[in-house]
Amino acid sequence: MYKFLLSLLNSKAKKTAMLMLILVSFGAAVMMIPSEIVLAKMLPGKNNDTFTITIDLPNGSSIIETEMLSSCVVTSLQQEKEVTNIETFLGTGAPLDFAGLIKGSHLKNSENVAEIVVNLIKGHHRTENSFYMVQRLRPLITESCAKLKHGTSIKFVEPPAGPPVLAALVLEVYGDDSVVLRDIALKVESIFKKTAGLVDVDIMQDEEYEKYEIVVNSEKITKSGLDIKQVNDILYLAFEGTAVAVKNSQLYDDQIALFVTLQNSSKIFEDNSKKAVLNKLSSIRLMNQRGMMVPLTEVVSVEKTTSNPMIISKNLRQMTAVLAETDMVSQVYPLIDARSEMMELFEDEYEVSTEGLFNLRLVSKKDGARYVLNFDGEMEVTIKTFIDLGAAFIAALILIFLLMVVYYKSFALSGIVLLGSFISIVGVIIGHWIMTMINGETFYLTATSLIGFIALIGISSRNSLLLIDFAKSLINDKGLEKRDAIAFATTTRSKPIFLTAAAIILASMLLVGDAVFGGLGVALIFGTLTAVMASLILVPILLDSSDLSEPSK
Amino acid sequence: MQTNSYKPHDIAGKFAAYFIRSPLTPVLGIFLLFLGYISLSIMPREENPQMVVSGSTVIIALPGASAKEIQRVIINPLERKLKEIKGIDTIMSVAQDNFAVTNASFVIGEKQDASNLKIYDKIMQNMEIFPQGAINPIIKPLDIDIDIPIVSIAFYASDTSMSPPQLFDEVKNIQHSINALDNVAITNIKGGHKHQFNILVDQNRLSAYNLSLGMIVNSVKSLAYNVPEVKNRTKDNKIVLLGIKNAIDNENDIGNIIVAIHQGSAIHLKDVATIEDGKDFQNYQRAQISVGDHNHTFSPLQDQVTLTVSKLQGTNAVNISNSVAKKLELMSASLEKKGIKYVITRNDGERANEAVNELVYHLVLSIIIIAVLLVFVLGWRESIIVTFTVPAILAITLFVAYLGDQTINRITLFAFLLSLGLLVDAAIIVIENIHRHLHSPEADDKSMDDLMIEATDEIGAPTNVATFAIILTMVPMLFVGDMMGQFMKPIPLNVPVALVASLFVAYIFTPYLASRMLKKKAH
Repeated sequence: MYKFLLSLLNSKAKKTAMLMLILVSFGAAVMMIPSEIVLAKMLPGKNNDTFTITIDLPNGSSIIETEMLSSCVVTSLQQEKEVTNIETFLGTGAPLDFAGLIKGSHLKNSENVAEIVVNLIKGHHRTENSFYMVQRLRPLITESCAKLKHGTSIKFVEPPAGPPVLAALVLEVYGDDSVVLRDIALKVESIFKKTAGLVDVDIMQDEEYEKYEIVVNSEKITKSGLDIKQVNDILYLAFEGTAVAVKNSQLYDDQIALFVTLQNSSKIFEDNSKKAVLNKLSSIRLMNQRGMMVPLTEVVSVEKTTSNPMIISKNLRQMTAVLAETDMVSQVYPLIDARSEMMELFEDEYEVSTEGLFNLRLVSKKDGARYVLNFDGEMEVTIKTFIDLGAAFIAALILIFLLMVVYYKSFALSGIVLLGSFISIVGVIIGHWIMTMINGETFYLTATSLIGFIALIGISSRNSLLLIDFAKSLINDKGLEKRDAIAFATTTRSKPIFLTAAAIILASMLLVGDAVFGGLGVALIFGTLTAVMASLILVPILLDSSDLSEPSK
Repeated sequence: MQTNSYKPHDIAGKFAAYFIRSPLTPVLGIFLLFLGYISLSIMPREENPQMVVSGSTVIIALPGASAKEIQRVIINPLERKLKEIKGIDTIMSVAQDNFAVTNASFVIGEKQDASNLKIYDKIMQNMEIFPQGAINPIIKPLDIDIDIPIVSIAFYASDTSMSPPQLFDEVKNIQHSINALDNVAITNIKGGHKHQFNILVDQNRLSAYNLSLGMIVNSVKSLAYNVPEVKNRTKDNKIVLLGIKNAIDNENDIGNIIVAIHQGSAIHLKDVATIEDGKDFQNYQRAQISVGDHNHTFSPLQDQVTLTVSKLQGTNAVNISNSVAKKLELMSASLEKKGIKYVITRNDGERANEAVNELVYHLVLSIIIIAVLLVFVLGWRESIIVTFTVPAILAITLFVAYLGDQTINRITLFAFLLSLGLLVDAAIIVIENIHRHLHSPEADDKSMDDLMIEATDEIGAPTNVATFAIILTMVPMLFVGDMMGQFMKPIPLNVPVALVASLFVAYIFTPYLASRMLKKKAH
């Protein structure tokens, strides 16, 4: 070690070659990110003991249709060996969890929705990871069940490893004209559906469906001795039913309602034609003030209209959103694909310009109306978190630099410590690449990898610190020659440096297996390895070309 | 050899010098370990760290208005008012026919109580913006702790004779006894159906008797009238109570209601309608369950009633779900007699406990691995010394976390795992330097204590600065925003504490133990 270092320090050519080698490996590692050799993702999937399937039928579907669809899904799930029980919640959301809270499951209350909770046997006894199971079941179930009712969306919701989001990928479309918004959203939906890696595509807007409107003729009502309230009440009573009275009960906890409505045989329409509606309405008769019976159809008429779709606004702007989940891939890469596809498609009708990192702005060529397409969801959170963590990283570097300047009163030495720490990024990135090679599946660079990287700066600066301190005291106290001192200090200090590195690597070994903190483990292991090499080779070389004698003494 | 001749310069050496002969040192060590153990056992456990997400949902109904009208007369003015509140991050509204739902969420980390109050105040102060005919707004604050149940139990009938309302009544009794358990906040029932007398009118027969629906309603109303008891006195001033029995007891009573007199004979309700003692069929919400047995064959989907239990903030999910499970076990025999079976379909307490225990196991395993490594490199005595420092450091960190109202969750334990590699460093560096000094030729001339103190003192300054450097790298992480920042918060909160603790433990206990366990090398 000592001899090797001395020979390295004494030969200018060797030093230059070493520095070049480090520089090249640094460049190569950094290039792995834009070239998509190492993929980035916020957080990887987590192996859960449960997942939820949400079913949304088109608006206006009945609970019977919803039940039929959910039974279809349950039948497929019953074939699974590792499922312990299946619960369905029709017309409402499942018991709330954190993901459900963000996705608005607690607000679900209509006949066309259902949620299915699937509980699996405990993780240790299971052969299949929950996300693999979901990935396998998704096409199977969607294919066999979604076709039962056109326009149904079936989504698979897994408890997220980190904080939950509305969806992996959300594209919000802002604009003033709801018809155009609808059109843009539908186009985006079709692009998402074609994009590889995106699944569970859904659009946050109601389908328009046919409905009938009963128009009350007030003149006829007055003439026939009825009043409008009476007509409305009876209509509601006949088809929906009303609890007209309650009975207190000794036996039961609740009051018992006396609920009046028409028998099914008297109220069910033959089909959804106007004739059938009129047919049933005509059989209902009302008694007027004079005690005479008036058929309902005498005073009302029936008109066919379409339903009013809901209007969504966010931060005071009208909006509609297209949601998609990712199928075991990072959302960044499908997003880039879908985005370029969108730019191409909208070019015909709009002036397309980009805004920020990914967002698009459309200006209509016809009337100059502006529409904004914003990406949100996990995407947004990922970008924000990575930017924040990047900022935290830079802040950490600056803080360490300042600390070193205070301690050493030398910019050059502080710079060396910093550079020695920074170079560990090579190990972090290459580590992820090696893990991908070993595993055969993508090992994502995640937020936890970044946390590991930030922690690494501290660890490797400690190595450099101990080394520089020792070298300095050797020169100043024992009067050794500079190169000798550096080589001797490095050799002596290499033992604790190796030891502490080994401790970190061994402690991080167990992290690698974890879904969420795997990135942290890999970053620490490979980063520490690089940091050790940096402290033992790069730092001595740099020290050699700097001033080590203490100015104050 | 009572006096130490070596004069330490650094805080490291001073600590070492003070504690190396102090009788307090072992007491302190035992006390620290005890504190850590206590903290580990009483700190609330969760799977994921608590996140403060504040916000409220406002629901306003305006019957008869279309989605467009709702947007214009309710949502637009409401959103403008909400926009005035400081700290609001997003306002999202949905206008549908007849009603508006507006969701205002605050920037992550805003205080929950204050945020809820702000929204409530703003709406109450501005009631005049809502149109006539609008029903009073319903304001529902978001509360993760209380809104999200930690346990859910599905109850279902074991035979088909039990009607859904009967099951619902039974579950309501269970709900009451579970709600009485300590620290249980809210219990809720999903999928329940109430008893109801259904009067299903046959329109054809109604027409045949020349009756209208309105007449049926009136006759039912008139008979289901309840009055309080009548109080009267006897001649000798004693009170006699006259209870007036409600005329309706069962479906037969309802059927016998006379609706009209038709051609001299009475028409009863049962002549024009079918009456059943049934369930509230107009409530379309249902819950079903299918349970798999050991052979992986599933029971067919059947109706169930789910009971959900949520906990009070800051309480231990593990204890609560255990007590719920125990309570159910006590009741299981009587439930079985009634023909009710149950499955626990969610148990976050158990999940949290498993996650925590698994990580504690990992932590212990890591410590053992490091200890084994040190045995080979430094020797078994040195290894034991370093290994002892780890639980002491973790104990201090746990105790500090407990004082700071943190919980034990996955992320806290990952903070420990992350710091494990870092926190043995200080001890390793100290012990390595002691080791080196003991084995150096100058060792013979110096006293054991002096050697220890000098070795500790020597590496004090760079170790302090290096540890401080690592702490500095963690600090900016506190300022990472959004949910992810909240989620990771235990890392920047706990790693620095662990590192500071590691310094003190290394300076206090390592020389103390080393001076008793290690010997000078014979030359």
